[in-house]
Amino acid sequence: MESVFVYRNPEPAPPGDGTLAGLRVAVQPNISVTGWPTEAGSRALERYRAVEDATLIRRLRTAGAHLCGSTRMSEFGFGLEGSRAGESVALTEADAELVLDLMGECRAAGLRAGVCAYKPSYGLISRLGLIGLIPSMESCGILSGSVDVIRRLLAVMAGPDGLDFSLPEEPVPDFSPGACRAAAVIGVLAEARDSLPETERRAFDSVLGEIESAGFALRELSLPEYALFPLVHGIVGSVEASSSAGRYDSVRYGVRAPGAGNWNDMYLESRREAFGLVVKSYLLQGAFFQFKRYGAYEDACRIRARLLLGMDRLLGQADLLVLPAPGAAPSAGRLGEVLASFDPSMFANVTGQPVLCLPADEQGGAGFQLAGARRGDARVLEAGERLLNLRGRE
Amino acid sequence: MRFSQRVFCGELAAGDAGRAVQLAGWVDAFRDHGGLLFVHLRDRSGIIQVVFSPEIASAEVCRQAAGLRAEYCIAVTGEVRKRREGTENPNIETGGIEVMASGLTVLSESDALPFAVSDKAMTAGGASARREAVSEELRLEYRYLDLRRAPMRDNLVARHRIFQCVRRFLDSRGFIEIETPVLTMSTPEGARDYLVPSRVHPGNFYALPQSPQLFKQLLMIGGMERYFQLARCFRDEDLRPNRQPEFTQLDLEASFVDEEVLYGLIEELTVEMFAVGGIELPRPFPRMTYEEAMETTGSDRPDLRFGLRFVDVTDVFPGTGYAIFRRIIEAGGCIKGINVKGQSGRLSKNVLQNEYAKEIVPSFGGRGMTWMRAEGGRLDSNIVQFFSADELDALRRKLDVADGDVLILIADASRKTVTSVLGQLRLHLAERLGLIPGGGFSPVWVTEFPLFEATEEGGVTSSHHPFTAPDRTDFDPKNVGELLSLRSRAYDLVMNGEELGGGSIRISDRDLQRKIFAALGLGEEETREKFGFFLRAFDFGAPPHGGLALGMDRTVSMILGTPSIREVIAFPKNRSAACPMTGAPAKVKREQLAELGLLNLGGTEPLRGTGGDGNLVDHLSWVSRIGVGAGERPAVEEALGQAEELAAAAGRNAGTEEPVRTVVPVANRMRPGDEARRSELAESGKLLESAPEVKGGYFKVAGILE
Repeated sequence: MESVFVYRNPEPAPPGDGTLAGLRVAVQPNISVTGWPTEAGSRALERYRAVEDATLIRRLRTAGAHLCGSTRMSEFGFGLEGSRAGESVALTEADAELVLDLMGECRAAGLRAGVCAYKPSYGLISRLGLIGLIPSMESCGILSGSVDVIRRLLAVMAGPDGLDFSLPEEPVPDFSPGACRAAAVIGVLAEARDSLPETERRAFDSVLGEIESAGFALRELSLPEYALFPLVHGIVGSVEASSSAGRYDSVRYGVRAPGAGNWNDMYLESRREAFGLVVKSYLLQGAFFQFKRYGAYEDACRIRARLLLGMDRLLGQADLLVLPAPGAAPSAGRLGEVLASFDPSMFANVTGQPVLCLPADEQGGAGFQLAGARRGDARVLEAGERLLNLRGRE
Repeated sequence: MRFSQRVFCGELAAGDAGRAVQLAGWVDAFRDHGGLLFVHLRDRSGIIQVVFSPEIASAEVCRQAAGLRAEYCIAVTGEVRKRREGTENPNIETGGIEVMASGLTVLSESDALPFAVSDKAMTAGGASARREAVSEELRLEYRYLDLRRAPMRDNLVARHRIFQCVRRFLDSRGFIEIETPVLTMSTPEGARDYLVPSRVHPGNFYALPQSPQLFKQLLMIGGMERYFQLARCFRDEDLRPNRQPEFTQLDLEASFVDEEVLYGLIEELTVEMFAVGGIELPRPFPRMTYEEAMETTGSDRPDLRFGLRFVDVTDVFPGTGYAIFRRIIEAGGCIKGINVKGQSGRLSKNVLQNEYAKEIVPSFGGRGMTWMRAEGGRLDSNIVQFFSADELDALRRKLDVADGDVLILIADASRKTVTSVLGQLRLHLAERLGLIPGGGFSPVWVTEFPLFEATEEGGVTSSHHPFTAPDRTDFDPKNVGELLSLRSRAYDLVMNGEELGGGSIRISDRDLQRKIFAALGLGEEETREKFGFFLRAFDFGAPPHGGLALGMDRTVSMILGTPSIREVIAFPKNRSAACPMTGAPAKVKREQLAELGLLNLGGTEPLRGTGGDGNLVDHLSWVSRIGVGAGERPAVEEALGQAEELAAAAGRNAGTEEPVRTVVPVANRMRPGDEARRSELAESGKLLESAPEVKGGYFKVAGILE
């Protein structure tokens, strides 16, 4: 079987006493580390080696973390086809792994590998040096066995970056457990629960019991438009992806189809070879919305506004929300199936809210997602850590 | 409000003291001296100070005056009086008097201004204040405010005076002003036409005239004898700094004239036009043949305000020991030189060798440059040792060399390269050494242009247009060599290196015209199709005639010394051929295109990528430049089907919320630093390391066109 890693750092762990000293962090090859192969799982970046460190990598180095290697990933991190994300942690080859979360990939990888997965609030971590696909939705996720490791990594990576133009100018919140009022009321989103098939609903209900016995009050909440999250993600995400992928022109890097007589054909043929079928279908969906149904993109952005308000309302009625974990992503398949498997996790990419995803435990407790308000990362991590500790004790 | 008693601000003078007047205009500036309010009132004629004093004006008028702001449009009644000694303002023409207001009407108020209209130098003590710099784009967007400012107002008034001068002069010489159509047929002027679709003849177009050339010749055939028009012309040319897509030319044509009549007439007219701007032009204007202009200045519009004429020195070097010159002469080339008189102090060896020979001349397309500096009775250069004493002596004589002179020689196998490079050098040196006298005007007629130019296909094409008369008529239309030796009876009026206008004596003989078309390789059929109506007119007794067109925007701009022709046009287009005020050119509604029959022009074959009716996968594949293989099609088609469903669902569910495109507050950022700099990664070549193809330190790509 192929190695989990596509590249291992030959250098030894750096000496030093930073806050992350001794911590081994694996990345995926869509995060720029100077000199490392950074093909983002795509022939569009074939043979590309990063020419400078991503901002978050620079911060990890400064804090003393050991960048131990990069792991096999899906094309542009979209879906999990060909991805081995999470295994480096499960195999204890790394203490944490960074995986881009475009529609729930980081969380799905965590569930698959049986480790905690965290998608931070949108706008906390600089995206400079990350090879992304959906700029307004993707966040750099963190996989680890320990919520505390996640918290420490987040604290190092978060913060303003004048070179990332999409990063808001907001102060960095304090992520430590005592920094916020601990969650007391956890909302259950009825529409998410009711969408589950019978057996999964029963498993989810036992998670709810677990939460209640941990001392949280449960409150049933309703967001009638919950089903529109995949719709918004599907349109906005594909439009942004099709725009972002315009940069893959076979000029500065990537596969170049031979023999093109002119510029147009060079693009057409090189990009025919550059993209796999799932990504290609997605990019052409984006082109469809841009060139044929531009109104649909505007409509999706309007619905996105409504969903943001709806989610705000829910988080006024409960401190956190609990939602079922996404199902297993297909290891191969057509675009429609890939997208559908992420339906339960897309909401957080649409709204930019933080989500901690706990995996199923050995005693049969199902995995689930714990979501908070954007920038309420400390509260999500604190409650998640409490629940994880309880599970460990049983 | 009645304005029957209104007088103009700028026309009041000391003699008006004691006179009761009504004034109207705009508040240029105001000062409040504790109850005493001074307002500079401006109309087109100038500025006068109006004083609101509680001793004269009622409390109500003073209260109203206190509310005046810049550019309020007002009417004032009052009495003129001489200013008290010591309070005169020498910066305005009416500075010795003022108007004591008794009445005030605010005609309309003004919002805060996008830029100051008032010239601060006009206020007392403000003589040294400089006019604030306003971006031209903003001036064009608010052109009506810009026109209120003195420079634009003065320019437009001067333009009017010059146009009036043209009309008066030509009227006095028996010319009549006749308008020709603006909606017309394409004319053979060489630039692109602006087309106007016809609604009643769908799919057919008028062209806006690039010049009234054909019509003015038809007016001559129509017996009008002497015609002129200040005509608006249109050319859809590529953007150039000092061009406008529409421009005004003085178009003129006369029958029973020859070159001498026209030269005399146009010189007189030019002298009168420039006199409006206080510029005296000496007559007669010198003349220079095209060949002389090219051989001695390298340009067909020579700037004669300074010397630096070329001298051919090829015959100094037959059998020279300097191999480069010898080979060039053997190859039939030539050597020309310029003597830059008395400039050796400013043209050091270093400047000549490292700047001119190594950088500047190659950028002008030259392969090399030879220089020599005359010092201590001898010529000094890095290659002077290759020349014999006789050669150097001959060179000194030919170029009239004295100590302190600098010689610059260009040698090339191609005569065209020599004159072109030296022509650019001539302008460069004149500019750099400040050899162009300020305020000087050097008109010149350039004559005897070649009638034809060679085409790449081995034929000929008209240098001017096919109706220009040749210098002789006994040529063989099939002999290309002979055709290229023909001169035309065309002439250009050039001033300070700019072409102000040009014209020619036209062909009036139909047989000669046919011969010219034959030379151009145009058959009977083709000429009839292109110029049929025009040629037919020559079958009915066409008189000999000729004329000229002068670019009036450029002429006025030169007379007034403005930095661009936009300064002498009321509502010009900007450098991108757009109007920032109106937003023209603009998109039009689909319905309008449909009405004009413009939706389905150009046949049924859709342009690649625009085919709305074509296959959806092919279309999207093309617009996103992502090839789709046959095996991939079913999956892509399925995805597009799902996208269609998503689009429909979005339409059903969208409300009226403001669209959200990002969930975080938008931050506006500038990159640190204020200077453009090359990335270190580009500098070190690191950026190229992952590229699939690199050539000579650049990314290599396929050609834009095949």
